[in-house]
Amino acid sequence: MNLKKSFSFAFAFLMIASLLLAACQPQQVEVVKTVVVTEVVEKEGKEVVVTQIVEVTPEPEVVEQPVTLDWNWGTEPPTIDPSLATDTTSVDVIHNLFVTLTQFDPVTGALSPYLATSWESGEDADGNQTWTFHMRDDIQWVKYDPTTGETSAVMDDEGNPRYVTAFDVEYGVKRTLDPATASDYAYVDYIIKNGQAVNEGAEGVTVDDIGVKALDATTVQFTLETPAAYFPSIAGMWVNAPMPQWAIEEWGDKWTEAGLINTNGPYVLEEWIHGGELNLVKNPLWINADDVQIERIHGVMITEASTAFALYENNELDSTGVPLPEMDRVKADPVLSAEYHSAPVPCTYYYGFTNNKPPFDDVRVRKAFVQSIDRQGLIDNVLKGGQIPATSFAPPGIFGAPAPGTVGLQYDPDAAKASLQEYLDEKGMSLDDFNAMGITLMHNTSEGHAQIAAAIQQMWKDVLGVDVKVENQEWKVYLTTIKKTTPLDEMPHIWRLGWCADYPDENNWVHEVFNNQAGANRLRRGCVDDTCTEATPLKFDELTIQAQQESDPDKRAELYYEAEKQLAEVEAAYAPIYHYTSTNVTKPWLTRNFPPLGGVDFFNWKLDMDAKLAAQGK
Amino acid sequence: MTRYIIRRILGFIPVLFAIALFTFVLMRAIPGGPFDFAGDKSLPPQVVANIEAKYHLDWPLWKQFLSYLIGDDLLGEEGTSRGVIRGDLGPSLRYRSQSVNDIIATTFPTSAQLGFMSLMLAILIGIPAGTIAALNQNTWLDYVSTFGAVIFLSIPNLVLAPILIWIFSLKLGWLPVAGWGAKPPYLLGFLPQPSQWNWNYFSHAIMPVFSLGTASAAGIARLTRASLLQVIREDYIRTARAKGLAERTVIVVHALKNSLIPVVTILGPAFAGLVTGTFIVEQIFGINGMGKHFVQSVGNRDYQVITGVTLVYGVILVIANLLVDITYAWLDPRIRYD
Amino acid sequence: MAVAELPQEQTLVRKQRSLWEESFIRLIRNKVAVVSLLFVFVLAFVAAFANYVAPYDYAEQDLMANNSVPKWMLVILPANAENYVRITDKYPLGADHLGRDILSRVIYGARVSLSFAVVASMVSLIIGTLYGTISGYVGGRADDVMMRIVDFLYAFPFLVVVILLQTYFKALGRASGMTGFGAKLLEINDSMGGMLFLFIAIGLINWIGMARIARGQVLSYKRKEFVEAAHAVGASNSRIIIKHLLPNIIGPLVVAETLAIPGYIFTEAFLSFIGLGVNPPTPSWGIMISEAVPALRSYPNQVLVPAVFLSLTTLAFNFLGDGLRDALDPRMKQ
Repeated sequence: MNLKKSFSFAFAFLMIASLLLAACQPQQVEVVKTVVVTEVVEKEGKEVVVTQIVEVTPEPEVVEQPVTLDWNWGTEPPTIDPSLATDTTSVDVIHNLFVTLTQFDPVTGALSPYLATSWESGEDADGNQTWTFHMRDDIQWVKYDPTTGETSAVMDDEGNPRYVTAFDVEYGVKRTLDPATASDYAYVDYIIKNGQAVNEGAEGVTVDDIGVKALDATTVQFTLETPAAYFPSIAGMWVNAPMPQWAIEEWGDKWTEAGLINTNGPYVLEEWIHGGELNLVKNPLWINADDVQIERIHGVMITEASTAFALYENNELDSTGVPLPEMDRVKADPVLSAEYHSAPVPCTYYYGFTNNKPPFDDVRVRKAFVQSIDRQGLIDNVLKGGQIPATSFAPPGIFGAPAPGTVGLQYDPDAAKASLQEYLDEKGMSLDDFNAMGITLMHNTSEGHAQIAAAIQQMWKDVLGVDVKVENQEWKVYLTTIKKTTPLDEMPHIWRLGWCADYPDENNWVHEVFNNQAGANRLRRGCVDDTCTEATPLKFDELTIQAQQESDPDKRAELYYEAEKQLAEVEAAYAPIYHYTSTNVTKPWLTRNFPPLGGVDFFNWKLDMDAKLAAQGK
Repeated sequence: MTRYIIRRILGFIPVLFAIALFTFVLMRAIPGGPFDFAGDKSLPPQVVANIEAKYHLDWPLWKQFLSYLIGDDLLGEEGTSRGVIRGDLGPSLRYRSQSVNDIIATTFPTSAQLGFMSLMLAILIGIPAGTIAALNQNTWLDYVSTFGAVIFLSIPNLVLAPILIWIFSLKLGWLPVAGWGAKPPYLLGFLPQPSQWNWNYFSHAIMPVFSLGTASAAGIARLTRASLLQVIREDYIRTARAKGLAERTVIVVHALKNSLIPVVTILGPAFAGLVTGTFIVEQIFGINGMGKHFVQSVGNRDYQVITGVTLVYGVILVIANLLVDITYAWLDPRIRYD
Repeated sequence: MAVAELPQEQTLVRKQRSLWEESFIRLIRNKVAVVSLLFVFVLAFVAAFANYVAPYDYAEQDLMANNSVPKWMLVILPANAENYVRITDKYPLGADHLGRDILSRVIYGARVSLSFAVVASMVSLIIGTLYGTISGYVGGRADDVMMRIVDFLYAFPFLVVVILLQTYFKALGRASGMTGFGAKLLEINDSMGGMLFLFIAIGLINWIGMARIARGQVLSYKRKEFVEAAHAVGASNSRIIIKHLLPNIIGPLVVAETLAIPGYIFTEAFLSFIGLGVNPPTPSWGIMISEAVPALRSYPNQVLVPAVFLSLTTLAFNFLGDGLRDALDPRMKQ
């Protein structure tokens, strides 16, 4: 017993002593580093453990620091597989690793060539619309070797470098639609011939029947179910990126891990410590490698906005978002205010009304509630980030979006009061009777939503004298609550949601979100029964379907204008609140852009490494 | 003793089974599933069906549980699950390229290192401080130690952590704001590689360990003091003193040893709590640990991760409790397990 | 034999009563403990009559005065605070991000935080002590089974239980048609800002720690001479537990429970931090702190005010627990 005791005490002391010793040691340049790389990879159903011990030879004394950007991804990307990504973090990573057929100009936001140099629409023998993309032939597939730190070209079976071909695009599209891939965003490709049928596992169609075909190595043709003028935007989405069939078949679900992944974009994946760091290095074989100035992205995953901001202030991040509570201080601070920039983001924050739940089944009540929201006041006093007041749905920069403030209901307290009074008079109700109906506003649990709800609750109280009860629920519960299958008496009258662009076209906005035939119809417009098992299309719903099939851009824009007006002004089916902005601070040594459609493209940024090192005191 | 330990270890099996079953069923009772939505967007039912089919969420619950427990092959079904009994905790539903084993292998070591260092800090400060306070009862030493302990107990780490960052990183520039200094692969699966035992590692660890460990240190100090004060007045201590033993021997060998029983009792759960219940510290310091991951996976309804992490948590706890009971016998020979 | 037993019994009883009286006297003599007790009483009083004490309603918003502070408070704000902060003397301790009076919220918050601390600690102390004492005293197979149950509950992640209860009952809360007991419970829960189920959950989780400490204590006392003596004179088990064991083991338990009180308040804060605490706008110190922490560097007063109240309360509970321990220990005569 005694022996054991003294042993464990000795052990504990040793541990502590060694910890302290290690802590006291001065920093040294290590002479030889040994790196043990152990990977467990699934290969043909068997687990193979690959262990390599690699000696890293000492580097020369004067080490040229690569131009490194310190970046915060904000969260672990759930995946960097283009077929599976749905969230902005994953898409941001993918955008720097993979090319897509088309891209949006980082300055103007216009659709522009990327992998495809030109494209045109046509018709096939059956009268279906086709889109043909002509691709460049000089983009190589590359892979990064973590043990040597080198990026090399991927070779095919004959030992020739693999270039990105139309076959890779065809494979990517088919993979996204294959039900076995289980892609969340497969539905955006339902516009492609047989896309929906294959994804739904219908009888008699196989993956080969999908309307995408590589005509030759540099030409790919899509055949559509219905004509879609916005298809080149969809073709440029990440789910339709060229994908490396050989690597995916070799490694299965693990193909996106560092060291295994094959990519073709401006950067390669250097290291991905799940939940901790995701680092990129420049792809030297990239077509415009000379223009890519930032050589390494050191990307951490700090969820807490205030911590990220502290990292920024401590020169540990080069650019980051400004947390709302710090906004006033940032704007008042001489240094930080000069580094501050607010840029529009193609997203809209709105309050939905449950259109078949009394009293919100009456347009006058809905109008009264919309017209009593002082959006500018909300932005000035609560949001503070230069957001744009929204009176209609799609934000500027989206094809077909009306200019802000031209469509929809403005803040108008007198009209709001009159509108509600008219309703009350007709029903023979007093304001107390109205309040007794227990109007409920629900949002998912979050400080930001709570602030907005509290402010708007106050506006309704001040303008209309209406007491609205604010409730909140945890995100997943909330999403279940506001489904249209929820019984009407359990539905809140008003609920909040936001929407961001997948591709910059009104179809992605008014049609996909609000059309009561195509979308989730959470607004419960035109319902035949309480839980809205079916809905009859109203004028708005007909307009967006019409616009979808119209090929003349001017006419489409007109139709969307009309649709926005119907929904926001005539029906007042929901209350648009504001269009998002991203509020950022950026160190003076970093020149970054803010693409009008969001996203980050490190390959267009510039960083003055000497200035950065000087500021860090190195 | 050996028989006792074996019996206890066998006793773990039903405990862990019950944990797995409860977590598995209860998580599914909460509204909201992992795949109903991508962000704000509700997905078409067929897309959801494809994903659910891939992860067998379309199976009846009992079958999903069996698949989770013993694997698909033993169940006579197509599938990749090899079952908890063969160490496969299943795929993550949120992080589509990772398995729960992967996630635990990356997050557990960090939490374990953080927890271990915090526990060391708590013991190395707590027990001496409590002893000094008890031996100098009602003197200024006692008051200072009591007051210090209470102050540290009264500052939630939610407040302490950002204040530390403010002072030591932003004002003084001594320590990095956030992050963790060790990276995988880990030595023995959980220790940082010797090459990483440097200032970088410790500078990242200081503030999180301090935020996490001080409250435990204060708790241990108070408990040691209370317990020691009681033991000092025991007859056998008087006897030991009467025998003319040196005061140091009396205190260290006789009094302190016995007074540590209640302290040891809280060490087991304290360690498990430090390893897993560290969400706030991990969140604020951006540390990639298991506590943070657990809370997030509950929000994501990542069933497999929740159940898997819960099981790991359960294993740590039962082992910690077993160690506590063994330590009892070791500290107090009057306690016998027979 | 029977004749001899009676006086023996009487002396025991008399001695016991005087012990408790002495304990009370000892507690009263401890100035720090008395001050702490007073503080807790005053706080409880303020919390109970918050409607009359607080200058404003806890939910009353004044967006035009959000994040405002009275002039004197600028000393605890960052140096350049005058440039961005609103200064008004309308709110004695300033207003929060929605323009709600911080003082009023702290006063109302005392209600939640105090009742949380009291209810959770009483539940856990009573259940835990009884459970642990019985387990340790009976020993053998019963002890083993009881401790396995404790192991099981310990190994069960508390967060899952709380999330389940909270989300499940919140989902139920909106479903109409609930009648009888369930509806009553939901009504109480609603009026407590959704806290009832938190109380239950936390009370049900935290007794386990007490049970372990109590058992550990009992194990070391049950072979003591005075317990064996009591056995020898034929005292019943319940009598031995209540009269002989409990007074001896209660000290560390009370101290441990006092030490746990900040833990309960922090647990509430933690749950608020992950969005599972009280329903806004009901204030608790925990939710006030977790709401204000992101603003720590701009408006430290919004964190410091509830944090100071929380720390003072903890301080009081600690000194009180300490005083109680000293007072209850039968061998503490100096």
